[in-house]
Amino acid sequence: MNKENYIAQTRFGLGVNPSHSVAGDAKRWLKQGLTAPDLSHVKGARASGELAKQYRMRRDNGDDKKAMKASSPGTLMIEAVTESADNAVRATPSINWRILDFFSNHFSVTGQNAVMKFLAPSLEKEAIAPNLFGRFEDMLMAVTRHPAMLAYLDNAQSIGPNSRIGKRRDKGLNENLAREILELHTLGVNSGYQQQDVLELAKAITGFSIARKDSEGDEQGFVFRSAIHEPGDRVVLGKRYRQKGEAQGLAILKDLARDQRCADFVCKKIATHFISDTPSTDAVKALSKVWIHTKGDLKAVFEALIDLEESWHSEPQKFKSPREFYLSAMRAATLPSDNPKRFAKALRELGQLPFSAGSPAGFDDTADAWLSPSSMVARADFSQQFARLWRRDVKNVETLLDQLFGDQLSNHSRQIILRAGSKQQSLALLLMSPEFLRR
Amino acid sequence: MNRRQLIKAGGASLLLMSTGVGALANSPSPNKIVWVVLRGALDSLHTVIPRADNDLLKLRPDLYGDIKDQLLPLNSQFGLHPSLKHLHKMYQEKQLLPIVAVGSGYQGRSHFDGQDFLEAAVGKVETDDGWLARAINATNGQAVSVSRTTPGALRGDDNNKAVNWYPSSLNSDNDYLYDELKKLYQYDEDFAQALSMGVDIRDKADSSKRVRQQFAELATACGKLIRDDSSMNAAMLELGGWDTHNRQAQRLKQQLSQLDDGIAALRDSLGDVWQDTAVIVTTEFGRTAAQNGTAGTDHGTASAMFIVGGAIQGGQIMGEWPGLAKHQLFEQRDLMPTSNIFDWQAALLKQHWGLTDAQLKAVLPSAKLRFATRPICRII
Repeated sequence: MNKENYIAQTRFGLGVNPSHSVAGDAKRWLKQGLTAPDLSHVKGARASGELAKQYRMRRDNGDDKKAMKASSPGTLMIEAVTESADNAVRATPSINWRILDFFSNHFSVTGQNAVMKFLAPSLEKEAIAPNLFGRFEDMLMAVTRHPAMLAYLDNAQSIGPNSRIGKRRDKGLNENLAREILELHTLGVNSGYQQQDVLELAKAITGFSIARKDSEGDEQGFVFRSAIHEPGDRVVLGKRYRQKGEAQGLAILKDLARDQRCADFVCKKIATHFISDTPSTDAVKALSKVWIHTKGDLKAVFEALIDLEESWHSEPQKFKSPREFYLSAMRAATLPSDNPKRFAKALRELGQLPFSAGSPAGFDDTADAWLSPSSMVARADFSQQFARLWRRDVKNVETLLDQLFGDQLSNHSRQIILRAGSKQQSLALLLMSPEFLRR
Repeated sequence: MNRRQLIKAGGASLLLMSTGVGALANSPSPNKIVWVVLRGALDSLHTVIPRADNDLLKLRPDLYGDIKDQLLPLNSQFGLHPSLKHLHKMYQEKQLLPIVAVGSGYQGRSHFDGQDFLEAAVGKVETDDGWLARAINATNGQAVSVSRTTPGALRGDDNNKAVNWYPSSLNSDNDYLYDELKKLYQYDEDFAQALSMGVDIRDKADSSKRVRQQFAELATACGKLIRDDSSMNAAMLELGGWDTHNRQAQRLKQQLSQLDDGIAALRDSLGDVWQDTAVIVTTEFGRTAAQNGTAGTDHGTASAMFIVGGAIQGGQIMGEWPGLAKHQLFEQRDLMPTSNIFDWQAALLKQHWGLTDAQLKAVLPSAKLRFATRPICRII
């Protein structure tokens, strides 16, 4: 395995899987991998239309446990993330799964209660994956219309004060989703929008809500309620939007997605994820130029990323996040995804169970967040446990090292790993080696 | 000497090297500071409630109506939320000092920037230089945060004396592996340092009883970690879940109970050391003065803070109340900040740890010493 192939699999992909290899030119191989991952068979993430029904049951009954007991939401969520991880572990190339994780974290939702545990995985499946290599605006609109996001950031019940229901019922706006769209999903904080823009966007997306009856809404459970939509024109970032109804909010979202600030903000996040914790401004500019030129065509942006020289820096640049670490260990071991419980427990202990970031900002993506005394010990303890399962499948550690690292492993690491007292220790040391902890 | 002790000794010698001459000139204060950061923006109007302000009921008919008859009285102006039973008792025992209408000076309404601003405490958004790290560096102390990752407040700690700890259910009987890893990281200082500190703190926290990830249990563990170690004079605890855009009354009832139980658990765990402890409780910003359309509140500006502990001269309320009439609100929407969180922190650091003005300048560069002589600690 040459250096380029190693980088293609570790930095762009989710780690080397010894039973796979890079076919032909690494860059072309990666570009061919830019296709939407298929989550249709992930049964844990059922269509959210069905989930929206559960949501209604819960609200109408006012009793979490009773309505939800039938199919424990926590179990469903764990099953969904395990199945999706299982696919990511077997995929080759796996760059598309890494990109799915990236945008799933960009549009982070947390399974903080029964309803959200139901809904969270379906956001990834229904709104993010299908749009992964299309235009960003389509992903943004799909996410903003999705019941998971509408429930998570309180938009489902945000009511325009001058809407038909608003006037009657002394209820009002909730600006949570609008603020996070501007701050976290599109323009980025301090990009120049004002509180007034937050309010205007919040008004524009009043009515983006969740279906209550089988007869209403689309198959994902989205419904636009004109009775709570704030009437009138909206002015966001100095531009007037005269559309009526749902079209108004969507028009604003489309403009946000194509805004230079959005391009810069998301491209910087992409560069930080793939290139280094501190990517050069040139690299970010190169990506955002493609974004603007193609009106946010994500496939073009990732092709440009693959073509950037900076992406191929020969030294590892990133400290793996806990989930990256875990997935790369699974790929190295080509183990089946375990059982969901064990999977969830390990990821929770390592600190990055999907849909548990606890904040719409998602998980951090840099070493200063993840590299800490407590996390190093947790990884060591995890590695020891993981190696115990793995050792039975490994005939020869030396061969494995060649398969996983090519010539990218230092002599020092190789020696320490090979002279360990047992195969289990060797494998634990392999997982904890500086070369494996970074990408 | 067993393997674990060997690693411990390794950690200790690193420590000695890094403290160097400074340690001779300046030994850490034995007094403890515990910082509890409430992530998500605490609604102070639902916590330290200005019951004498006539605008309150107009602004939040449901939210205030819900608790108005059950307030725990502080003085003629304010009452505590009914969930804060232990804190109320501490107020009566003159250990709790609530400060109203405080802000960090952060101008926006983003949680994440607001928290970075609060943790950096330099008057701007900053993510790699935290105030607690500077505080222990200035005093040659040590700090532990109960968290899975290193929080912003403890980043930029040049001397590697800030460590994090979090309960784990993974089997940790892996001394042999830790030893081998030490060799593996011979040329990788970052990993070597992190691992050695992690093993060390895990040994200190070692208990036969498993700690659950619940705030009161984390607070108990935190108390244990700093209680018997005189050089470990600072700690940090985090509690999230304060972003109450909806169903605020129900949610804060639980949240505030957790906070209340946690502070009491910390006190119990610290035992006699509680007498030398100051706990600071702050949040990134406050929430709108009026309730919103979903029985919650949106992002605002000023909030409240608590300073509490056996070392605190409590039983009084500090801070200036700005009023809740429309013209008294910040941008006609939020509680107006009338004093700065960092100014209060500086006063506490001066009184509790005896920091000099020069040290304070290094630790909290944007703070003014306007409250330095206010009676915050029992013995100044």
